[in-house]
Amino acid sequence: MKVRVETLARTTIVIPEGRLDFGAAANFHVQVDQALAGAGQAPAVLIIDCASLEYISSAGLRVFLLAARGAQRSGISFAVCSLHQPVREVFDLSGFIRVMTVHPDRSTALAQLPGTGA
Amino acid sequence: MKCRTRVRSEAAQLPALAKFLQEFWSAAALPPAQSLAFEIALEEIFMNVVTHGTPAGSHGHVDICLTLEEGSLTLAVEDEGPPFDPLLLPSPDTHTRLEERRVGGLGVYFVRQLMDAVSYARVGPRNQLRMMKHLER
Repeated sequence: MKVRVETLARTTIVIPEGRLDFGAAANFHVQVDQALAGAGQAPAVLIIDCASLEYISSAGLRVFLLAARGAQRSGISFAVCSLHQPVREVFDLSGFIRVMTVHPDRSTALAQLPGTGA
Repeated sequence: MKCRTRVRSEAAQLPALAKFLQEFWSAAALPPAQSLAFEIALEEIFMNVVTHGTPAGSHGHVDICLTLEEGSLTLAVEDEGPPFDPLLLPSPDTHTRLEERRVGGLGVYFVRQLMDAVSYARVGPRNQLRMMKHLER
């Protein structure tokens, strides 16, 4: 699985692409942790954009949970956006949809989060 | 239609299992939108066997069988590890706050939610987990 990271001012967007299964979860976790830590300065906003995510299992979901908690501890606004079926279905089943901020697409996420300069 | 495969009980086999399912799906011309339950079940149950059912340092095997008949698909996962019924795992509380959420047990919970019927049996030295779902064509 490929993970891209985009930075706009103090907003960091992590973009997992493909299948986030058990085998891909460890690398994704490293990428998310690096994004949370920032380059010397933590971001104000972390968005995980799932537009290119095709599949997620409980191993992948765990990283979202750790990211949400890590962001909360560091005072970073955290959101998830662009969930397609079947990823959306897994988020629904897990109940994560109720404890995380989920936006339909990236532009909505950027417009609604504080400090994104939108 | 029936297809079987046997893999070593190790996490590195996961891509091969995903491919096995994908090939079965294509060969049987099943609707792609309905594969989620089986993708999840294959990964979650297989990884359960790898982590809970395989004694450290040993590499047992896991047998996977897909059977399509009369509009329903059954996934059977069998291993020779110690007796382990994943259906006895407590369901996670999916309504707690972020700080209290846990991921343990979520995989098996997904399988129970996504499948129409799930059953466990210990047959001789083997764990057998069967998961069935009716497919809409």
